[in-house]
Amino acid sequence: MADEQEIHEHDVIIIGGGLTGLRAALQIDRAGISCAVISKVHPLRSHSVAAQGGMNASLANVPGDNNAQDSWERHAFDTVKGSDYLADQNAVVMMCKEAPATVIELEHMGTVWSRLGDGKIAQRPFGGAGFPRTCYAADRTGHNVLNTLYEQLVARKIPVYEEFFVTSLVTDSGSGRCSGCTAIEVMTGKVHGFAAKAVLLATGGFGRIFSRSTNALINTGDGQALAFRAGAVLKDMEFVQFHPTTLFGTSILISEAARGEGGILLNKDGERFMERYAPNSLDLAPRDVVARSIEHEIDEGRGFEGGCVHLDIRHIGADLINERLPGIRQIAIDFAGVDPVSEPIPIQPGQHYSMGGIDVGIDGQSSIPGLYAAGECACVSVHGANRLGGNSLLETVVFGRLVGESIAREVPSVAHPSRGPVEEAVREVDGKIARLLGNTGGTSLFPLLDSLKETMWTKFGIFRTEAAMQEGLAEIRNLKEQFRTVSLADTSRDANPVLIRYLELEYMLPLAETVALGALGRKESRGSHTRLDFPDRDDGHFLKHTLARKTGGGISITYGPVTTGMFEPEERVY
Amino acid sequence: MKPVILKVARSRAGGEKQYDTFTIDPVPGMTVLSALFEVQARYDNAPAFRYSCRGAACGTCAMLINRIPRLACRTQLAALVEGKLDLRLSHYTLPELTGTWDMKNEVIIEPLPNLPVIRDLIVDMSTFFEHYRDIVPVFTPGDPDPARERPMTPDAVRELGKYTTCILCGACYAACPVNGKNKHYPGPAALAKLFRFHIDPREKEGAARLATADRPDGWWACEFHTNCRMVCPKGVPPDKAIGQARQELNRMRKDKKGDRNGKTGTSAAGDTGGRR
Repeated sequence: MADEQEIHEHDVIIIGGGLTGLRAALQIDRAGISCAVISKVHPLRSHSVAAQGGMNASLANVPGDNNAQDSWERHAFDTVKGSDYLADQNAVVMMCKEAPATVIELEHMGTVWSRLGDGKIAQRPFGGAGFPRTCYAADRTGHNVLNTLYEQLVARKIPVYEEFFVTSLVTDSGSGRCSGCTAIEVMTGKVHGFAAKAVLLATGGFGRIFSRSTNALINTGDGQALAFRAGAVLKDMEFVQFHPTTLFGTSILISEAARGEGGILLNKDGERFMERYAPNSLDLAPRDVVARSIEHEIDEGRGFEGGCVHLDIRHIGADLINERLPGIRQIAIDFAGVDPVSEPIPIQPGQHYSMGGIDVGIDGQSSIPGLYAAGECACVSVHGANRLGGNSLLETVVFGRLVGESIAREVPSVAHPSRGPVEEAVREVDGKIARLLGNTGGTSLFPLLDSLKETMWTKFGIFRTEAAMQEGLAEIRNLKEQFRTVSLADTSRDANPVLIRYLELEYMLPLAETVALGALGRKESRGSHTRLDFPDRDDGHFLKHTLARKTGGGISITYGPVTTGMFEPEERVY
Repeated sequence: MKPVILKVARSRAGGEKQYDTFTIDPVPGMTVLSALFEVQARYDNAPAFRYSCRGAACGTCAMLINRIPRLACRTQLAALVEGKLDLRLSHYTLPELTGTWDMKNEVIIEPLPNLPVIRDLIVDMSTFFEHYRDIVPVFTPGDPDPARERPMTPDAVRELGKYTTCILCGACYAACPVNGKNKHYPGPAALAKLFRFHIDPREKEGAARLATADRPDGWWACEFHTNCRMVCPKGVPPDKAIGQARQELNRMRKDKKGDRNGKTGTSAAGDTGGRR
């Protein structure tokens, strides 16, 4: 490499500029510790911005049935039951206790929450929740909160390396600590090094390994893959949430808030079919239940042409739709040519959220010293086998702050990292990219990408069986082989989106394999993981976390305990 | 649907511009963004472009489509060739297209104007975000934080919502004739953001917020072409914010002149500004 190396030094490097990363940066900066955010897109383009429905907190601004008062204990119970008892209850308790103060803190930073007539923050019902607990900013909650946090970063002048794609984590072979990372500056193609005392991964989910996903196109599991490659443990990767209501054709999310505000699901016979599947909670049963019900209706021939059902919100009325669901209305008009004020919305289930991720403790510490993770890329686990709507935004800010605090506690006692390993890593990555861009005439990238996504959707979707998953696993391994022979049509070093998509696929393939192995190993049905060949939950064998780690020749799967104690597992009826 | 020809502007920072054509067989509902991905997968010389959410939420993929700034993810090919999205902007002068343009079959895709090109459809947004930072976009409450939320009326939230929905995509900045000729003009998005803080009833900055852009290159540079409002994918009305800000500033000046005791106007702008 002719150019001089560029190595940046910060006490803490935060990879990811969504809600978790920004909240953590704020906390670390408040502690007087230097930190910088690295993001492959401008922070305001992060997937957090698309979060619609809201953030759960037992503020008790709106009374429940019979004037009952919400509490963090009830929130915790709903979360644990929703998780099909796989969540770690100490982590759930922590999150639910912190929730009210978290929402209030965001309000104090300027978030414009929707309000009740009395001026308090408005709350609405969400799936699997016993109370109207979800605080919201119309149906643009993520957008509003992300803007608030970004504004705080701007005010504090926290450095952000925008449009830097992280290419590797650096581990100091002497100390065994994660001591930085490398990243390619997308617009120039230059590889930079970052030396740090601690690295936080806050890169979001890996939804884009599935063909039908509500996720932003950038959600390719970069953080999970980086951690896994560096030797960290991934947990519960088979638990992938399928959201019941995504727009037919484009899989753009139609928020659960649509049902929270009274929307109902109808099959082609006009039947409110949720009455048969969840007689008490109906359309507001948890997502795994509703997604399965819709898929079942479609499989049984009661869906509309092409494989969808209808979400009807017409009875809510134009005024309330415009007030509380304006984004949903616009999405349906723009992307499906349907105005929900006068027509039902055609919807189908699609991948939505990754419950699994980098195995971390309640302090966000991964199995590699100095490497932390929080938010969707991590698995604490607060969501277990199925996440409740409104709990992911909550997790991002609660754990963004808590992990920021634990990093700020650790960093002062950590020695300054040596630059050597970072410089070496920059040379390595730079050489790899140069070689890749020098190759021509190889396999095309995009058919492999399409094939991976289709395989994941058809073989590891809502309903799973041993036979289909074995086929899927074989196909993933086949794609991994083919990937070695890929060359790129665009061999520019600078501003080359195809190069980034190549690097993303390189991350997605091993993650797909961990999903496959986790799903094959778990011979039960729990939460989002539905095996037609093992239809029941099996607490005797599987009330435990799946742990995947890289070994010399492949991937090993082991199991770890679930922290219970507050709520005993019981049958999940809604 | 019949094939559509995408005519895409190609260039690198500081270099010459040329147009490459790519033929696409559109499926119903196909957007410009999905067409660009199709090109990326099928053609060796695909153009470079930005993207993220593909659902008109993140503001990443604004570009000039048929010579109007729009989000690629929200713009359908069919609607373009059927002429349904035709829009006339005021005093909007782009460099002439060379060659012919068959509007029933061709879609012209170019980078946003008023910002420097990095490569093909990717522009450097730094100036846009510098203007954003210059208006000091951070909530500044006038009192210590209470234990719970500061109350707000649903009406105040509704008024703020007109401006908080801005996704900072830059379409307005690219559509504004003033931004085309005056590098110091913050542009519609930054001014709308400033106004959003000004009318936040929880803020007590009042006139100080408006003063941030009270200069010839600020609020006063707007020429009310309203292109910003016309191209905004989120329905934000920056022209309305600018008009109201100017009215308030004018009124404050008048009050000040007329008040021999030297007191400034007592009507707390923050409480009422948005509802006039």
